[in-house]
Amino acid sequence: MSSAETNAAARIRVRGLAKRYGAFEVFRDVAFDVGQREVVTIVGASGCGKTTLLRCLDGLLPADGGEIWIDAQRLAAPIAGVAMVFQHFGLFPWKTVYDNVAYGLRMAGASREEIGRRVPHFIALVGLAGFEQAYPYQMSGGMQQRCGLARALAIDPAVLLMDEPFAAVDAQTREILQFELLRIWEGKPTSMIFVTHSIEEAVLMGDRVFVLKGRPSRVAETIAIDLPRPRTRATLRLPRFAELRERVWSTLMSEARQAEFQLSGG
Amino acid sequence: MRESSGSAAAYHLGRHLPFALSLAGGLALWELVGRESSPAFLVPFSTTMERLWELLVGGTLVAETLDSAGLFATGFLLSVVVGIAAGLVLARVQVLRVALEPYIMILYATPMVALIPFILSLMGFGFIPKVLVVFLFGVFPVLYNTVEGARSIKPEMLEVARSFRSGERALWRDVMLPYTLPFAMTGIRLAIGRCLVGMVAAEFFLSSNGLGQLIMSASQNFDTGGLFAAITVICLIGVGLMRLGFALESRFAHWRK
Ligand SMILES: Nc1ncnc2c1ncn2[C@@H]1O[C@H](COP(=O)(O)OP(=O)(O)O)[C@@H](O)[C@H]1O
Ligand SMILES: [Mg+2]
Repeated sequence: MSSAETNAAARIRVRGLAKRYGAFEVFRDVAFDVGQREVVTIVGASGCGKTTLLRCLDGLLPADGGEIWIDAQRLAAPIAGVAMVFQHFGLFPWKTVYDNVAYGLRMAGASREEIGRRVPHFIALVGLAGFEQAYPYQMSGGMQQRCGLARALAIDPAVLLMDEPFAAVDAQTREILQFELLRIWEGKPTSMIFVTHSIEEAVLMGDRVFVLKGRPSRVAETIAIDLPRPRTRATLRLPRFAELRERVWSTLMSEARQAEFQLSGG
Repeated sequence: MRESSGSAAAYHLGRHLPFALSLAGGLALWELVGRESSPAFLVPFSTTMERLWELLVGGTLVAETLDSAGLFATGFLLSVVVGIAAGLVLARVQVLRVALEPYIMILYATPMVALIPFILSLMGFGFIPKVLVVFLFGVFPVLYNTVEGARSIKPEMLEVARSFRSGERALWRDVMLPYTLPFAMTGIRLAIGRCLVGMVAAEFFLSSNGLGQLIMSASQNFDTGGLFAAITVICLIGVGLMRLGFALESRFAHWRK
């Protein structure tokens, strides 16, 4: 997708976004567009403000400057059509898988009939069929995040916000979930912003990788990922995949090295 | 098949045998000591059971137990409803909580028996002052545990609710209440025991009927058998209610690990 196309079809537009916690400036001058069927992955050191940025994009946190537009709507509070998948899963432990997946639909005022139709569909889509009546504490981390994903997908979001969704699961499960998410996304491509601290994951999932850097941080680099879709396990073996991974890596590391020098110098 | 049911029986026997033996031993000890004691202050188990049977057949026991049960149920339900409602409000409205916390702590710590003479002089005998005593015994554990529970909800949970655009009412119904219920249940379990104490105390001081009065009058009439019969009934009710309390608590708290 060329950048002109991306802009024409932008679903998310962020302009001059800034956020402070008291005197601590998290990021400044963050600006980007995300297309209607584009996956943007965001990488950056821990604490650089990735979660804060997503919370702003979900309308959970007011920015201190700048604007966020979703289609023709300027964001001020959580809006319909934007769904978040949380790093800590965010499931309600007193609700079954079925009731957790139904939660977003119920909050959106869906009819009983619609809930009864959509919930089983999305439970099956994420591979949780048969676990409808299970409680979160009875399931592994990977299964819990499948449930979190189904809850987000069930409201048919135009924008999916993913905050390190697979960071809290073991490496094998993580790999399985990455390819399942790719499969699900191919079935119904939407705007997706996917935060991760894994460089491989960023390259595998994204159409573009944003590198968040600096203090206060900003989008320091944008790396276009011209790997073919659909992405599968074979993608990991492409020479181009290794090249792109190295590029993201060196962009991130230049800062890590600087920070190290500053530390030893100070 | 037969063998497995046989081993299941053996398992149950092994589990319950120590308890059954210690209970039988305790009752035997009561019987023996009771026979050697002056009937003015202790009668044996067998005499207690005979007297219990007389009171039961005569209808006195049933009438007084029903009377007490009505008092207990009214005061207890009131303390649950008020404790949970006020607890949720206090958890949500910080000003109120900060302002009222000292009173709650003081009243939770005060042995409520100390207030009974005051209630007597203020309201006299009757059903309402008795209910008030039972209520005061039970309300503070419910209130306190509800406040602590509701306040311990993780901000992440509230953020999930906001992210899915929950309204205030849905927030209470889907998040705050189900989250708080197990904590309130702990308070309710404590309240069951305390309300039972409150019931007997209220009947001692403010009543002419109920199991508490049965104890008082038996003791005044040197009816030691009747005294122990009433104590036994209260004891059984207490054990039953406690088990009910634990069952309720685990029913609502199963997800809390
Ligand atoms: N509610 C808050 N109040 C104050 N500081 C915060 C708050 N939330 C996050 N921070 C700080 O802001 C910075 C960015 O946090 P976060 O967005 O969680 O980073 P990331 O997700 O990239 O690890 C961190 O230094 C963190 O300590
Ligand atoms: Mg984070």
